[in-house]
Amino acid sequence: MDGRDRACRLLAGFLAGDLAPAEARQWDEHLLECEICWWAVREDRAGRQAVQVLRQPAPPGLADRVAFAVEVAAAGRTAALRCARPPARSSRRARSGGWLRWPQLAGAGAVAVAVLVTLMVVLLPDGHQARIMPPAVVAVADYAQAVPPPAGDQHPVSGGRAAPVEVGHPVTVTAGGQTIVLRTWRVGGTEAVVAVSSKPFPRPPQAQGVAGSGMAWSARLGRLSLYCLNGRTSELVAAPVRAADLAALAALLPLA
Amino acid sequence: MGADHRLFLEATLPHLDAVYQVARQAAGGGQDPEDLVQETYLRAYAAFGSYRGGNARAWLAAICLNVARSQARRRRRRPWEVPGSGLLDVLPLSRADGGEGTVDVADLVIAGLDAEQVSRCLGRLPEPQRVCIVMVDVAGYTAREAAEALGCPRGTVLARVHRGRRRLAQLLAETGVAHGRP
Repeated sequence: MDGRDRACRLLAGFLAGDLAPAEARQWDEHLLECEICWWAVREDRAGRQAVQVLRQPAPPGLADRVAFAVEVAAAGRTAALRCARPPARSSRRARSGGWLRWPQLAGAGAVAVAVLVTLMVVLLPDGHQARIMPPAVVAVADYAQAVPPPAGDQHPVSGGRAAPVEVGHPVTVTAGGQTIVLRTWRVGGTEAVVAVSSKPFPRPPQAQGVAGSGMAWSARLGRLSLYCLNGRTSELVAAPVRAADLAALAALLPLA
Repeated sequence: MGADHRLFLEATLPHLDAVYQVARQAAGGGQDPEDLVQETYLRAYAAFGSYRGGNARAWLAAICLNVARSQARRRRRRPWEVPGSGLLDVLPLSRADGGEGTVDVADLVIAGLDAEQVSRCLGRLPEPQRVCIVMVDVAGYTAREAAEALGCPRGTVLARVHRGRRRLAQLLAETGVAHGRP
């Protein structure tokens, strides 16, 4: 450390209030006599004041967006853990040589295949999902899948900061005994459907609950990611984006 | 989902504004500060299991800076790079008629400087000084927190902040001179 560097550190320490009282007093006296050091103090103050114009409060929706992204990540982590860790009962079955015998297994398999085919053909014609979905959720998903992709360039959600633009007119449908108002929003190059109902949207079997958000859940359905917030007014967002991107998209939408 | 993500959010969301200040200045060309903040929180959440419970604000800042650097590296661009306007490129770095002491920083009209000018001048500082100034003066970190995030002694942070402020004041004064201010 040369003399200049040492002087700089001492002055920085003086300005930060780090010096002992005796040392600080010496600096006070020195500054009255030394033009160079006095100038350095003035420049320090000017630089500190100047950068204050760079401060901008965080956007109001950022905290919600971050919290939602973490909740989605937490849901994904839990799902991955469930997949990686087989249920204890399965282990017991394996250790005991199996509870089911081959004929029983074959019969159960045939029934399962029959049920699966029935569901795929009757309930879900596109065959993407092999589980029974609540009619209200299916209605929203069908509507979202029927929304044509926007013309022009496609931009990833995370890159687009454009304000959402409503596309078309609200559509009211009834499914599963609940009335649902569907609105389509375009954000950047992505079309998202926001469904609003006075009744909660039932949680599909494969959905993940979003902890800390009451009756909220998220799910993946074909190419769609779904996020539902049930409450006095329930909202279900459906968009053809990755689950990880849905948080960023939802933060931009005019949700209640 | 376990309770850990709620604990994580409770511990980290109060520092969102400070992280955002760092992200706004650390985001390189093509990076969105809000995306950078989100990525910072997702990485922090992924590492929350190994978090020892120190200063969460400093921990988040360190992650934010690392994410900004790694994303900039992927884009083959320097982080903290502020696109030049051309104005500063043609300005001399010191006044032609004397040394640095001759620049009248006391007459520097801070209110007349817009954020873009300050940002450009800040972008001309060496990265260590720039990072320290943003953390301490813009984001409101203490010198100790900045030192913890950057992995250097507190005295080094203070010295970098001091040198950076002085250089920034000189650059801004030169800009003011170029605009006809005394």
